[in-house]
Amino acid sequence: MRRLLSLSTAMVMASTAIAAAEPSAELIAAAKAEGTLTTIALPHDWCGYGAVIEGFKAKYGLTVNELNPDAGSGDEIEAIKANKDNKGDQAPDVIDVGLSFGPSAKADGLIQAYKVSTWDSIPDTAKDADGFWYGDYYGVMSFEVNKDLVKESPKDWADLLKPEFANMVALAGDPRTANQAISGVFAAGLSSAGGDVAKSGEAGLAFFKDLNAKGNFVPVIGKSAPLAQGTTPIILRWDYNALADRDTLAGNPPVDVVIPASGVVAGVYVQAISAYAPHPNAAKLWMEYLYSDEGQLGWLKGYCHPIRFNDLAKNNKIPKELLDKLPPAAAYEKAVFPTLAEQEAYKETITKGWDTVVGANVQ
Amino acid sequence: MSSKQAIDLKKTAIDWLGITPFLLFAVMFLIAPTLYLVTGAFVNPAGEFTFDNVAGLFTDKILASYWISIKISLASSIGGAFIGFFLAWAVVLGGLPSWIRSSLLTFSGVASNFAGVPLAFAFLATLGRTGLVTMLLRDWFGINLYASGFNLLSFIGLTLTYMYFQIPLMVLIITPALDGLKKEWREAAEILGATNTQYWTKVAMPILFPSILGTTLLLFANAFGAIATAYSLTGSTFNIVPIQLYAQIRGDVLHNPNLGYALALGMIVITGISNLIYIWLRMRAERWQK
Amino acid sequence: MKTQKIGAWIAVLFGASYFIVPLIATFEFSLRMRRGEYSFDAYRSVFSDIQFRESFSYSIMMAILTIVFGVLLVVPTAYWVRLRLPQMRPVVEFITLMPLVIPAIVIVFGYLRLYNSSSYIPFTGSTRGTDVLLMFSFMTLSLPYMYRSVDTAMRTIDVGTLTEAAQSLGASWPTIMFKCIFPNVMSGVLSGAFITFAIVIGEFTMPSLLNRPAFGPYLQLIGANRAYEPPALAIIAFAITWGCMVLLQLVSRFSKSAPSKP
Repeated sequence: MRRLLSLSTAMVMASTAIAAAEPSAELIAAAKAEGTLTTIALPHDWCGYGAVIEGFKAKYGLTVNELNPDAGSGDEIEAIKANKDNKGDQAPDVIDVGLSFGPSAKADGLIQAYKVSTWDSIPDTAKDADGFWYGDYYGVMSFEVNKDLVKESPKDWADLLKPEFANMVALAGDPRTANQAISGVFAAGLSSAGGDVAKSGEAGLAFFKDLNAKGNFVPVIGKSAPLAQGTTPIILRWDYNALADRDTLAGNPPVDVVIPASGVVAGVYVQAISAYAPHPNAAKLWMEYLYSDEGQLGWLKGYCHPIRFNDLAKNNKIPKELLDKLPPAAAYEKAVFPTLAEQEAYKETITKGWDTVVGANVQ
Repeated sequence: MSSKQAIDLKKTAIDWLGITPFLLFAVMFLIAPTLYLVTGAFVNPAGEFTFDNVAGLFTDKILASYWISIKISLASSIGGAFIGFFLAWAVVLGGLPSWIRSSLLTFSGVASNFAGVPLAFAFLATLGRTGLVTMLLRDWFGINLYASGFNLLSFIGLTLTYMYFQIPLMVLIITPALDGLKKEWREAAEILGATNTQYWTKVAMPILFPSILGTTLLLFANAFGAIATAYSLTGSTFNIVPIQLYAQIRGDVLHNPNLGYALALGMIVITGISNLIYIWLRMRAERWQK
Repeated sequence: MKTQKIGAWIAVLFGASYFIVPLIATFEFSLRMRRGEYSFDAYRSVFSDIQFRESFSYSIMMAILTIVFGVLLVVPTAYWVRLRLPQMRPVVEFITLMPLVIPAIVIVFGYLRLYNSSSYIPFTGSTRGTDVLLMFSFMTLSLPYMYRSVDTAMRTIDVGTLTEAAQSLGASWPTIMFKCIFPNVMSGVLSGAFITFAIVIGEFTMPSLLNRPAFGPYLQLIGANRAYEPPALAIIAFAITWGCMVLLQLVSRFSKSAPSKP
């Protein structure tokens, strides 16, 4: 078990001074000469990307061409590969992918190295030593609960097995393909295996098998609409997605976001610049922006924990109002950050075993 | 060369010229892009030639998913063809007011592509556990739909959902064929003393059969390639081939695009085989026309 | 005859309820945006979004272009195959079935590799070029339906005799095509046009990966994060598509000459 970041020591005072480590004038000029940045897979409600992109556009006057916000990490990699010779608008400059995609993209020669000016304040375990990929934010697996249909929110993974939650629990994706869903299964396993990471893959599958046998599991993919409509009143998804959803629904229905008492799993995403980027300087400027205090706090507004959270907290850069909107810091104390090797192992177990073990197959 | 041979040659050349635009279009925008897929199926991620991907198709899990894809495509295409035919018959030959015909045709046009997330959601909102019809049945009629064994998230439920776009497709495509049934044939049959049944079995059906067959094949291929609806409705429990394919090509984890290409190749082969079956059946049905 | 009519009515009523009830459920849910009462808030939210209007009009324009060029490609081909190259029919039919099973994502990746800005035919090098490529991709997607509709309609007319008759009266090829064949397969063309229209409006993968602002990607974007707007959008799209098809039907009714009944 690896505990990377502890948040309880943050003593915060209201602060309006957000000084960014400024990128060099040549970079800004070169980026402006290119004029555009092409991004991919950045939904506006994911980590507050909408506001982050607007902030970037306002600060540097570049246009941002946004591709396919619905893309998964695999899609982003495929987009780079397909557009190797294409300098048109379809080629992404920068990608935001799951942790395990960083090393594989580097091995395939799809990304280029760049170290932002705030490089040193990024934890070593969340970045590539050569600068090819670097962690950007993380969140933990939580329960998003529709309070109209659920009287008493579940507090922990074991609660989900109770009979009052029959036909209620759903994952936010397909556990054979989507990172978020696989992390959900892993988190359940971590809880029932008492914190033993190595056994959590199997334990997670066993948990869901039980959940399915008891009739609590709904195989529909959990999203905002089925949550509100009633098909999937409890969704297992990243806390930032759940919190953003809670805000969007604005009480119709009221949503409770619960961080489970045990089995708290953090998921790290990484940024990288495409090796075939049509606008490499704009890409580098974008990275500078994202890793500046302004960019990192932008993600925090979207309920994601930016990777430089500890550094920002230590330097009292986080406004109190922002901290108050997040779930209590104590809940994140126990967050487990699986290493790359651990991730490979449990992903393998879960994706291969889902169909046979859980047996929720429609015949 | 004799003048007749020259004329024949010229005629053949013109014949082939006439089809050139289509062939050019097909090659540029369908066949050439797909060739990448075909070659990709025989290569591994490192770029070397291999039969591994094709061999990988013959694992239990993938064979099972081909089988279930075929099952649901057959069920929804035959069901859709059957019901669609009756609907089309009702509006074309059933003596109904003409506004019903044009409404049905326009509606079918819209509904034929109402698939994917909106359709899955519509059915969840109707027949799901908290759906409108489920609740109405429970509150007004005291019938508990789910207690009686029905479940939208099942094979039957998915077939029911698929038919929402299969039936309109059948209606739209078979209506011109029904239009083409000349009144004179009916009158001639009646003059010769045929009953309604005899007219249908001996005159109308043989004429319509090839069209019905061809459209059913289209419906089959349509269902076979459909992914969005199944994914949105039964996501992780319904193992049809397109979902497996997308998992390999797009997924966050499995990500073996070459296996995905092999899966797609398998789908093309199955469609090719069904096309051959259709052609054989049609040749037999058209024998009387010769 | 009476029983036939009753049977027809029953069929239509069952069909109508099967099709309309899910729409009603969707509509009912879309009205629930304001807590505790029915309101059109979701619809207001959708209509005030500029992107909705832009993407929808873009898709409608693309749909019309696709239909026009699709018809121009398919009808002569179906006619020619029937008339002169019947041995090619199985091949052509197989080709037209392919877009149904080849995933759109594979096709579009193929386009990006073949027609990117550094290749011989750089479609993606410019915005207009990409629009053209997108139109061709839509034509490919709608090919199965267009071909099958037109072919079914053509099956019912005797193209051989019609052509000979027209030729013996001295008609040129364009005259035969547009004055004799087209009007007689109009119902098949119309069916194909309807389906094509719906396909182009709803298509997501192609415009998304070619990065053009069509309605499909917009629908997906809204559906990812909102609860009440997506059903509202679905109903709106349904209604507008229906409206366009009614227009299509009216246009065809005015321009088609009465098919000659022997």
